[in-house]
Amino acid sequence: MNYFMNLVMSGLVIGTLYGMVAMGFAIIYRATGMVNFAQGEVMMLIAYMSYTFATIPGMTFIPLLACVLTASIVLGLLIEWAFIRPMLGESMFSRVMVTIGLAVVIRSTVILIWGVDPTAFPRPFGNAVIRFGEMALYPGQIFALVSLAVLSLAMWLFFRRSRVGIAMRATSNNETIALLMGINVKRISAIAWALSAVFAAFSGLAFCLMFSLEPEISQMGLRGFPATILGGLDSVVGGAFGGLVIGVVENLAGGYLGRGLKEIAGFVLIIVVLMIKPYGLFGQREIERV
Amino acid sequence: MRSRTYQNSYAGLVALSNQPTAWVWAAIGILVLALMPAYFGSFGLNMLTAIFVASIGILGLNLLSGVAGQISLGHAGFLLIGAYSQAILTTDYKVPTLIAIFLSGLVAAIASLVVGIPSLRLKGLYLAITTLAFTFIVRHVVLFAEGLTRGSAGMPVDALSIFGFSFKSDVRFYYAALALLLLFIIITLNLMRSRIGRAWLALRDHDIAARAMGIDLMRYKLLAFMVSAFYTGVAGAMVALQTRFINVDTFSILISIEALAMIIVGGMGRIHGAILGTALIIFLPELLSLGFNAAGDNFKNLMADRIYEVKGLMYGVVILLFLRLEPEGMAGIWRKSKRFWVQWPLSQ
Repeated sequence: MNYFMNLVMSGLVIGTLYGMVAMGFAIIYRATGMVNFAQGEVMMLIAYMSYTFATIPGMTFIPLLACVLTASIVLGLLIEWAFIRPMLGESMFSRVMVTIGLAVVIRSTVILIWGVDPTAFPRPFGNAVIRFGEMALYPGQIFALVSLAVLSLAMWLFFRRSRVGIAMRATSNNETIALLMGINVKRISAIAWALSAVFAAFSGLAFCLMFSLEPEISQMGLRGFPATILGGLDSVVGGAFGGLVIGVVENLAGGYLGRGLKEIAGFVLIIVVLMIKPYGLFGQREIERV
Repeated sequence: MRSRTYQNSYAGLVALSNQPTAWVWAAIGILVLALMPAYFGSFGLNMLTAIFVASIGILGLNLLSGVAGQISLGHAGFLLIGAYSQAILTTDYKVPTLIAIFLSGLVAAIASLVVGIPSLRLKGLYLAITTLAFTFIVRHVVLFAEGLTRGSAGMPVDALSIFGFSFKSDVRFYYAALALLLLFIIITLNLMRSRIGRAWLALRDHDIAARAMGIDLMRYKLLAFMVSAFYTGVAGAMVALQTRFINVDTFSILISIEALAMIIVGGMGRIHGAILGTALIIFLPELLSLGFNAAGDNFKNLMADRIYEVKGLMYGVVILLFLRLEPEGMAGIWRKSKRFWVQWPLSQ
């Protein structure tokens, strides 16, 4: 039982990372109808940038978080302005290909600048294990769990209550009508990219606090896809839930069925999910009219 | 001025080529390629062979992405399946190499159903995501099914031989690759002019209209995916035959990106574009290393240490530049320059 609980717990922790990545995918899909294949690479770039910030002498956690968030918002806006906006009105194929091109460029550039060797990331909360009764968690794991909880609550409120969130839902529903209703569609797309970079920042930081700074961070982008599909491509909060489920499933598969299965359990799961529930658990069913 | 689009009869519309001079040019082109071994050393010849082999796979990807409009990020997986099928069929089951090539394509096509059936039912980018997942699954299966694939140790591959005639030497394999490429070009041309090819074009351009015309979307998308996987599987078998040793690491995810770069650079949905794009992307690292060598020792070392990243950066930049500046790719440049000279003093 203890073994089982341990697997579930560490699965949930990994799942928070998938969840945050999935939320990043979903928000861009929601606002612009495209999938950002560079999400993992943006996460990697922000993680390396935060390492540079964190090694500034005298840097504590709160200023670090502020610096990283500002940098990520600027980065998101920059990517949207330089690469995504010029492709507006092009076919979906070209728009998605731009993000794929961007992904390789970012990954290669980061490795060329910072190198491939894993580096220890500074631990602002120390390395002591914090105990909650039976469970023991590292500070980095608590940071990941808290970030996911805060982010999903914030997103839920954002889409329900805020003007921009409602405008974003309207845009994803029908871009032309949203435009006619006086919504600034370009601004919505820019906000979505900035928000997705913020998700990338939180997930990148959480990854570094739990593990170390390494190029494998960019793999998290791919590993987050199963969570996105499970939650529904267009459901931001569903992505967070999907992430937790995928994390636990992967860990259980790895723990009980064999080590090799851990890496592919999520991918096998989405192929099954697509067969029985194609739009995910929380996704909106698209009804096609012919 | 010449007009090529106006045809008097249905036969003219579906002809393999709409002008007789095309055959002359094709014959000259094949003759030039057939004479290449006399002028090129082993290095150049191997590179041309690599271009021919890659072109087969790219023709397939082009049918899927350029003609039928579906994105696949998993063609590295099909290449892997093709290569391993070739190795396993010829060493463990003693299947004749030539038959094994086509069987490998068939194995890849059957594997494509696993991803194609769930993801092609849906509109949108599901195929891109599931094919990406597929590549991961295939790599893991190959690494862990050690009894069949020898795991991470890799597998040696028998040389190509047909009825006892061995294609071991570079020159002979060059001709074999050229012949196979020609075969696949003819198959592609025929697919494009038949009902199937036109159905693919229709579903790419307007799926709702295509459906109203009686085209079964799911069926034709799946067919495009299977045909494309078949081409890639054959290309994988040829890669195995050329390198004579295969390993999972040869077929990384970067191969899928490289393949997409090839069709974007070449021009979507065009046969000559696919081949031009392949040639350019294969030559580019060589040109780049020439430039880096000229730029001094610092850059030379960078190229040696970080070849994987430098290549990735190059593919990414090439994809971004072509998408922004010349979405029609090399085929578009070719068409525009041809029109410029045809209309010459009056061209704008």
